[in-house]
Amino acid sequence: MVRKHARRAVKAAFAVALAIPIVLGGTANAGTTASPTITVGTKNFTEAFVLGQLYKQALEAKGFKVGYKENIGSSELIDTALTSGKINFYPEYTGVLALNIAHVKKAPKTAAATYAAAKAFEEKRGYTMLKQTPFFDADSFTVLTKTAKKYGLTKISDLKKVSNLSYAGYPECDKRITCLLGLKQIYGLKNIKFVQLGTIPVTKLIDSGKVIGGDVFTTEPALANPKYTALIDDKHIYGFQNVAPVVSKKVVSAYGAKFTNAVNALSAKLTNKAMIAMNKAVAVDKKTPAAVAKAFLQANGLA
Amino acid sequence: MITLPLLANGPVIPNFGAGSTCETENHFFCTGWVADHWSDTLQPALLQHIKLAAIAVAIGFVLAFAAALVAYRYRRADQPIGLLSDFLYTIPSLALFQLLVPLTGLSVTTVEIALVSYTLLILYRNILEGLRGVPAEVRESARGMGLTRLQSLVRVELPLAVPSIMAGLRIATVSTISIATIAAFVIPEGLGRPIFIGIGQDVFKTEIIAAGGLAILLALAADALLVLLGRALTPWRNA
Amino acid sequence: MIRLLADSFSWGTFPDAIRFIADNPGLLWHKSVQHMELSGAAIGIALLLALPLGVVLGHLRRGSFVAISVSNLGRALPSLVLIAFALFVSGHFFVNNMAALVVLGVPPILTNAYFGIEDVDRNIVEAARGMGMSGRDILFRIELPLALPLIIAGIRIAAVFIIATATIAAVAGGGGLGDVIVNQATYHLSGVVGASLVVSLLAFGAALLLALVRKLLTRPYVSAD
Repeated sequence: MVRKHARRAVKAAFAVALAIPIVLGGTANAGTTASPTITVGTKNFTEAFVLGQLYKQALEAKGFKVGYKENIGSSELIDTALTSGKINFYPEYTGVLALNIAHVKKAPKTAAATYAAAKAFEEKRGYTMLKQTPFFDADSFTVLTKTAKKYGLTKISDLKKVSNLSYAGYPECDKRITCLLGLKQIYGLKNIKFVQLGTIPVTKLIDSGKVIGGDVFTTEPALANPKYTALIDDKHIYGFQNVAPVVSKKVVSAYGAKFTNAVNALSAKLTNKAMIAMNKAVAVDKKTPAAVAKAFLQANGLA
Repeated sequence: MITLPLLANGPVIPNFGAGSTCETENHFFCTGWVADHWSDTLQPALLQHIKLAAIAVAIGFVLAFAAALVAYRYRRADQPIGLLSDFLYTIPSLALFQLLVPLTGLSVTTVEIALVSYTLLILYRNILEGLRGVPAEVRESARGMGLTRLQSLVRVELPLAVPSIMAGLRIATVSTISIATIAAFVIPEGLGRPIFIGIGQDVFKTEIIAAGGLAILLALAADALLVLLGRALTPWRNA
Repeated sequence: MIRLLADSFSWGTFPDAIRFIADNPGLLWHKSVQHMELSGAAIGIALLLALPLGVVLGHLRRGSFVAISVSNLGRALPSLVLIAFALFVSGHFFVNNMAALVVLGVPPILTNAYFGIEDVDRNIVEAARGMGMSGRDILFRIELPLALPLIIAGIRIAAVFIIATATIAAVAGGGGLGDVIVNQATYHLSGVVGASLVVSLLAFGAALLLALVRKLLTRPYVSAD
């Protein structure tokens, strides 16, 4: 009888002895707050997918866990995703941010000034921007080369000569001073007709003659084709559009230099030539953004 | 001659591999592309699609079954449930997705709610009609043999309703697989996504045909499987 | 700090959607007209192709396998896939989308027409033949009137489906209310939801219209319901 109780007592003591370190260990961990997951978001076009994969894989190579929300939408939509906490990292074009989201009054005159304006805006809201890339990808007014020859067009100001002017642009274009409003007000092309781009590629619309010119991004592989000519933006309405990652300050403070160094190291390698090559690999050679990003990162020792 | 060391400041741009002529010139169908991108594009999309559809049909079936049992027991319940069903079915699928987005966001939940709604309608109608189709004499003889209401339902009425239920399940499954392509408007999942990417890439025919073809084949395969299942569940019909 | 008001996910979007409809009657009217032009053309052509075929086949009692297979295949064709395939057809967006919509609209009309006629009670048909009625007379004076409910049900299904799918045609340049629904960047969530409400009303309206047609056409007859 005593032995039975003794056995029970030993078992109980053993259990308690085992439990104490477990509980203590658990509470010790519970003391530290969980680090925020890095969630990368992307916009909804080829270059955005490539950039998203590049940053995502570069961070994963350094041991970070990265969530990924692809294909969110245009600047306005992805900004909402950022401020509502659905993502905390996304690559943005400095000019678009400064002029269309921040609505800076005077358009900055240099790439550095544009970046500074965009960064200042984000920092007021609890976010920041890491270093910008060498490459820039601006909107353009692209026409068929034969159209340019026909009317003698080299720059956008020359478009005054063209009657019945039409321009195909992305949905947000007709509200932006960096796009249609700029063409109308700054270039004085008052009667320009706007055709909204949907899923049909802009080059198809230009080819079909449905529009005189369209918004072909300057790093799109189409511009490497002599068939198209991007007119010179002599009044700089399209702004300076280098890319810089918008990141939540919480993420930066949680992960520190290891995080920012990894991101900036990648950004430094993204030149115009590199982006055009990567965009071409996806859009023309039909490789996946993930595979292209991986190849680039490996070739540059970043993954 | 003194050779200066090259300052490797610029990035190394690897050769990503040129696309085949078939791909770059957008011929009708490039089997090479399909082979290369099966595991990274087509298969994941297919699996996501199957998952979306399967969850919707499963949940829809359970809900429709419950609703049909209620309407079977309480005839008055049929009118409102029926009207709601007809009304929901008239809403274009894309519109229904977008109407749900303000409530449940750009998420799988939104997609599933919409898909379940459409499956519900078809299944409810068919399960109910199947149960109602059981002849009154059969029901009476079952009760006459001493079976309780529940036993009669489970052992006599439901088995007899199986053909109608299976017919509804077939239609619901095929329709759900079809509508699930539209999920790509809301979340980047399912076979609708490669179709969108294909359209955006200068209407890349191969990707569109491959993903579209898979969706059609999936629907036909599911239909065939359900036909077989139906036959297996009702051996007395083929006797 | 002026910035575009974030569209938050909430119930508040519905009153905003109503306000969008009230504020943009011109846009929504224009898009609705475009939408119905595309849908109407497709419904019309689908009717021309499928109705006579289904009715004749049903009358001759041939090709039930075809009718059933067409119905099954039609259901298995995802609307988005057809719209995407249609992009290869020609360089004209309207033609492409109309072709896709016609393909989607034919199965319900064909199947219902076939089975509507075929299901007419054989005894009635035999009695009519016994009375000396010609095949044509039987078709037009007996089978069609009795099959009308099912035929119109098929047309209603096709019409609703075509109006619904025309929404997706926006991604292939089809225009219509889909242009708003797929374009949240410009029209914001309130616009998207507003246009979704409008297109649902259009589909509902078509269904109601056809229900009315059925009531009008079947009143003088004893329906085979």
